[in-house]
Amino acid sequence: MEQQYKPKLLWLQSITCNGNTHSFLNHPELFSILSHFELVHHPVLESSFCMQELIDGILPCDILIIEGAFMEKGYLKSGVEVSSIIEHYADNAKHIISAGTCATFGGIFKQKDPEAISGFCFDEEEKTRRYAKYASKLISLPGCPIHPKWLSYVLLMIANDRKISLDALHRPVELYGYTVHTGCTRNEYFEWKIDAKNFGLKEGCLFYEQGCQGPYTRGSCNKILWNDMSSKTRIGTPCFGCTEPTFPQTELFHTKTNMGIPATMPLGIPRRAYLTLTGVVKSFKIKRFSERLMEYDR
Amino acid sequence: MKRMVIRQLIEKIEGEAELDYTFSEGRIEDVKINFGFYRGIEEILEGKDPKDALVITPRVCGICNHAHLIAAVRAIEDGYENAGVKIGLTQKAKNIREFTLACELLQNHIKWFYMTLLPNLEKYLKIVSEENHAMKATYFSTTITKALAIFSGQWPHSSYAIPGGVTCDPTQLDVMQAQSLLEECVRFFEQVVTACSLEKYLAIDSVSQLHKIEGDFGRLLHLLGSNGMAEMGQSYDRFIVFSDSFLSKAGKSIVTSVSKVDTRYVHESAQKGSVAKAVSYKNRLYETGPLARGMVSKEPIVKSLHKRYKDSLMTRVFARVHEVALLLEESRKLLKEIRVDEPSCTLEAELKLYEFEGTGTVEAARGSLIHKTTVNNGVIVKYDIITPTQWNLSHGNEKEKGIAVKAMVGSQSIEEADFIFRTFDVCSVCTAQ
Repeated sequence: MEQQYKPKLLWLQSITCNGNTHSFLNHPELFSILSHFELVHHPVLESSFCMQELIDGILPCDILIIEGAFMEKGYLKSGVEVSSIIEHYADNAKHIISAGTCATFGGIFKQKDPEAISGFCFDEEEKTRRYAKYASKLISLPGCPIHPKWLSYVLLMIANDRKISLDALHRPVELYGYTVHTGCTRNEYFEWKIDAKNFGLKEGCLFYEQGCQGPYTRGSCNKILWNDMSSKTRIGTPCFGCTEPTFPQTELFHTKTNMGIPATMPLGIPRRAYLTLTGVVKSFKIKRFSERLMEYDR
Repeated sequence: MKRMVIRQLIEKIEGEAELDYTFSEGRIEDVKINFGFYRGIEEILEGKDPKDALVITPRVCGICNHAHLIAAVRAIEDGYENAGVKIGLTQKAKNIREFTLACELLQNHIKWFYMTLLPNLEKYLKIVSEENHAMKATYFSTTITKALAIFSGQWPHSSYAIPGGVTCDPTQLDVMQAQSLLEECVRFFEQVVTACSLEKYLAIDSVSQLHKIEGDFGRLLHLLGSNGMAEMGQSYDRFIVFSDSFLSKAGKSIVTSVSKVDTRYVHESAQKGSVAKAVSYKNRLYETGPLARGMVSKEPIVKSLHKRYKDSLMTRVFARVHEVALLLEESRKLLKEIRVDEPSCTLEAELKLYEFEGTGTVEAARGSLIHKTTVNNGVIVKYDIITPTQWNLSHGNEKEKGIAVKAMVGSQSIEEADFIFRTFDVCSVCTAQ
């Protein structure tokens, strides 16, 4: 029987913490997903070729996954600029996936040298000079780190030769059409404008005091749960907006306000609509929301 | 005397390193370890709110991010205490933090065992294996990080530990789910790693009983022993641990005598030609990690191996896998003791201190991790991170070669040295943070 052609998958790292690599290793169906591909090279998994062969620049590659922030000059592997290795494979690949916020927008490591460090095709929201060359095959998967199922979605769509709908920043709409707020178990408290009184509680919304960026951060963290289990906001940690071009902002555990009103509105909500609604909702005192969800007998 | 220097790129550690091996008379005389890229997390933190370190420092490393979170929160808590604010964590918060940290160590050790050690040993010994080691590793690590995520929301890169406690408020249902996942990992350890019950395994306390271990761990020990590798890779027999944990109290061990330590005597220095800083304690180099923990705590089976093989790769490798059993057993206790009706966090969310200085230490997978934060006018003015691998992987100084370098010296081939190098559970991203 003739063997079916498997797309050749190449995972390259630039300036990274390896977080995306380890996040993807948490995918419960990792090996069934990888069975659709030939792993040309991967940072930790066994693969067909070693790093030196990769640097020598002779390997075929259909899908290029880039992890880590990008720098034109000054980051070498085996004496070769990492930027030139990546560009070489990007030229030849049919699809380029920027895995994680560093590779997509620059992320945390951009702050070390904001002038020199960026994402591969975007520098925050600005297009880099590489954008024009690679835009036609670019898929952005921001997240610090990437969610393993977001990556598997893209890989399987490619393996099945399906078209992936993308937004203006090349993010798949099926994954980034939601905000992190969608599916948060604290939504009732958001609706009735009840803030979490402190950290370490099941009750209350983290948007008003604790810095949660969920209502204006694109990502499906509360729909496709992390580790198949939970999310930051579900366990009482604010969303830090790690999928956004602006990540990381400052004073991450504190909501920035203007005269007591959150400085950034939920995505797409006009300030006036928000204020009107807040005025109405706050006029009610609902007993259930001032109590603990459950009391344990002592 | 004929000298020859060979440069080799080492990969599939966490990141990559370039090693320059100097050969003389057919043996390795010296090794220079070069790490890739400095990312400057410490500088990135300057000028930021002290709590931002809880979000930013986990990004030092994809595999020990949680240890960074715990070190960062302890540094703030220590600073608060120094400034006169009593912390007083509840037992619940302590147990949850210890448990999630144990989960991170567990996933690390199993990944290292199956993805770094076994495949490289097989390569070194030219054994062709049909096993999918990575599948075993990811099955275990995915399961245990699920248990971690119940409390932390996600792994990697969570920021659920905050001054005064944790952000989560688990229900009994959550705790039970974590217990089930943990038991799944215990089964894996019993059936696949050691082929003996956890109880039986933990009763092993001397080299003469090692034959009771079967499974993949037993096979590894057998391969090391029968191929004359048991005494390879010895270093200075000096160990250090900076954080008290159930695995070990803080202390240092020189040959076999254990004494106290204080982070004030830790000295960091730049290294010529490397982006990674070296680190020493009172001008001496020490090994850190599971073997250090085993030696400082005088863990009977580790001491027994040490008596026979000194600080060889056999003892080093054993100590790391052995910790899996200790961590599994302790995790059972930690979860069982959690009382869901206790408070999760004892400090007010809005509490903000403007001046403080604090140090946080934690036992991470690869050894002691130290964070030091100095806050003036409400912002971080200085942040120091000293990672475990800086201890193990520095070049050393004029007087002494580095810990891993010393272990590799005398090897007859690059393959041999490469394997010894990997027994240190190398992480280049941490070393060059």
